[in-house]
Amino acid sequence: MELILQLLVDGIVNGSHYALLGLGFSLIFGPTRITHFAFGPLYALAAYACWTAAVPLGLPLPVAVATGVACGAVSGAVVYRVLYRPFERRRSPSLVVLIASLGLFIVLENAIAIAFGSDTKVIPNFNAAVILLGDVVFTSVQVAQVVALIVVAALVALFLKRTSYGQALMAMTDNPEMARIIGIDTVKVATVAFALGSAVAAVPAMLILLKEGGTPYMGFNAVFMGFVAMVVGGIGSLRGAVIGGYTLGIVENLGTWQLPTEWQSTIAFVVLFLVLLFKPRGLLSRSAR
Amino acid sequence: MDYLLHILVMISLYAILAASFNLLIGFAGLFALSQAAFFGVGAYTTAILATKLGLPFPVPLVASVLLTAAVGIVVALPALRIGGDHLVIVTLALQIIVIAIMVNWRGVTGGTDGIAGIPKIVIAGTALDTPAKFLPFAVAVAAACLAIAGRLAASPFARAVRAMRENEQAVQAAGKNIVAIKLAVFAFSAGLAAVAGALYAQYISYVSAETFTLDATIYILAMVILGGTGNLWGSLLGAVILTALPELLKFVALPPDIADKSRQILYGLALIIILLLRPQGLLGEISTRRRRRLPEAASEGIGTGAASDGEVTLEGRGLARRFGGIVAVSGLDITLRRGRIIGLIGPNGAGKTTAFNLLTGFLRPDEGAVLLNGAALTGTPPYRVVRRGVARSFQDLKLFARMTALDNVMVALPLQKGDNLLNVYFRPWRVASDERSNRAHALAILDFVGLHDKADVTAENLSYAEEKLLSIARLVATGAEVLLFDEPLSGLAPNALEAIFPVLRRLAASGKTICIIEHNLDVIRGLCDTAVFLDEGRKLAEDVPERLIADPALAARYFG
Repeated sequence: MELILQLLVDGIVNGSHYALLGLGFSLIFGPTRITHFAFGPLYALAAYACWTAAVPLGLPLPVAVATGVACGAVSGAVVYRVLYRPFERRRSPSLVVLIASLGLFIVLENAIAIAFGSDTKVIPNFNAAVILLGDVVFTSVQVAQVVALIVVAALVALFLKRTSYGQALMAMTDNPEMARIIGIDTVKVATVAFALGSAVAAVPAMLILLKEGGTPYMGFNAVFMGFVAMVVGGIGSLRGAVIGGYTLGIVENLGTWQLPTEWQSTIAFVVLFLVLLFKPRGLLSRSAR
Repeated sequence: MDYLLHILVMISLYAILAASFNLLIGFAGLFALSQAAFFGVGAYTTAILATKLGLPFPVPLVASVLLTAAVGIVVALPALRIGGDHLVIVTLALQIIVIAIMVNWRGVTGGTDGIAGIPKIVIAGTALDTPAKFLPFAVAVAAACLAIAGRLAASPFARAVRAMRENEQAVQAAGKNIVAIKLAVFAFSAGLAAVAGALYAQYISYVSAETFTLDATIYILAMVILGGTGNLWGSLLGAVILTALPELLKFVALPPDIADKSRQILYGLALIIILLLRPQGLLGEISTRRRRRLPEAASEGIGTGAASDGEVTLEGRGLARRFGGIVAVSGLDITLRRGRIIGLIGPNGAGKTTAFNLLTGFLRPDEGAVLLNGAALTGTPPYRVVRRGVARSFQDLKLFARMTALDNVMVALPLQKGDNLLNVYFRPWRVASDERSNRAHALAILDFVGLHDKADVTAENLSYAEEKLLSIARLVATGAEVLLFDEPLSGLAPNALEAIFPVLRRLAASGKTICIIEHNLDVIRGLCDTAVFLDEGRKLAEDVPERLIADPALAARYFG
């Protein structure tokens, strides 16, 4: 029983992480329909920005965190304008854009590895507090992961409901063609979507930096789980992405109750296969067809 | 010297990989990201069979190909119902699962250590243990693989594959089973990649998971894109350039670690730059093969033939279909007769196209039945409905845009020998003679609709009226006895109408059953024997066009 409880808690923690990734990925994919693989290295870049501010520059942690978020937002917007926009202007098919994004993925990943080295970066004077609740153990970083999702999701919801950019973003997610017709500046909104989605992704990136340390290759898993969370939940729905993230996190951890932990990551893909076979439009879709 | 030979061996292996990937993404338009996984499954299978079981060449190679082809089919399964972004994520997941198995199934795969000491291939008592000895073998295998892929690419089967890439619905409406096509292409592509894997394992004598990661897929992808999708020579060229070029980096004094990463950056940049400057790659797809001369049209069997006796052919009884809460069609009875032209009219959203979708199996009715010559047709998948004799066209035509007019028609011809891969490889002479007569038949059909001169023009370069004629030709090519036309005449100038009218009349006179959806009442009056008025999913009236059009109540609905 304690084991299951512990696994459930771990599942909720990992689920929050995946939900944040799904939210970030979905915020970009929804309005732009760009399969943004470079989401991964930008996520890693945000963690490295935070590390650079905190360790070599010796700035206080909150300042370093703000640097990471800012780096996410700026790099996201820049990548859209410099890489994706030229393809949009040429009306390239989505496949071409996807391949270009894979190209950028390996360029950025390797550039980070050359610039910072391949070793794991940690923040040396940071130690997470260990909390014991009954038989269940968790750390302050894990608490922060759950809290981060709640805070970020609330802020995003507020942004989407209360600001004109947020509304335009939702309109574009529903129907990009219609959004253009009713006079929404889709380039500007897409830039905002990239900035917002990448800034959201910076949060889980920095939490992983605190929890496990950062490597140049940390982005692969991030973009992958963000993508899977979105597909499992249902493309086009932000709530779906969050639910998809939690489904993955919880199933993955409960799965280790019976399976050795090294197969943990494989469980997520079994979920993906099953969802796509039986509910191809995702868990939140109203009907399978 | 050995170094140079080694590079040539690697070029041979990558040429196989690039060609196999090109079949999948270039020809079939199936964007999968698991080619490195197929490569890896092939390599590990050979490594395990050759090292642990000591099986001699070519047993491990054959086993690798079969196993990997089976894996290809398993991945294709979820991809059958979904496409695009879902296929990307499913294949990416496969890629990761394969790596996880390589790393975690230690007893069999050696875990992170990989498998070392894989025995060399021995042919006629000679071990291929140096690049010099391996190279002729590698080149021969690569040439064989490219020839096999090339044979596929030039076959009637590949025509259907390319048509599927252009439009999945239209290729089903042409009577092709896209499930079978997708499974075959996945199996074929995976099997070819496994050949490269099997050779790699016994050449390097060592396999480990890190060779087969997503980076390797991107590397192969870069070769395909650089060379040109849909062109196998392009894949060879891409493999040559992207294998040789990074070797030049070795002459720059960089630490090996950084050199390797710079190489990766080079691939990434190459991909982006090609896609911006020349998205079709160095060698574009060969869409119009130059033929010495077009064969004479054999015009037998078109516009002549069976009796136009007015027998009932296709029948819909009590058809109903709802989308969510919206009733698209309800209680629809419709009867089509041989040799007669029936018109479907009604305001936009009346359910006319839905009726076609129900009759041709593109949609399953919630209630009611479809019968062809008295036999049940309900629930038959679209491609079989076509083969049984009911074909339809699309309002938005759905032509295979990047294929020639002739190929558009040829795709739709029924019972082609070359659609069967066994025939393509083992009875090539039969495929060739079948292909000759099919080409003549297709030209005759083009002639019949007045497009004979345009046979070698790609569909996207035709005028609007010509596109409409081509979609009629494609429908005729199916050989179906019941032809359903979705607005075949809309948007045409009067003189173009004059050209199409007799075509439809001759089809009816030759014993075809014809149904057209049409908004232009003059067309209905001039062409149809009877007309059915639909509104809000219901049949409101059926009569000869004159009386139907004269009905003031219907006119009010129509124009109101």
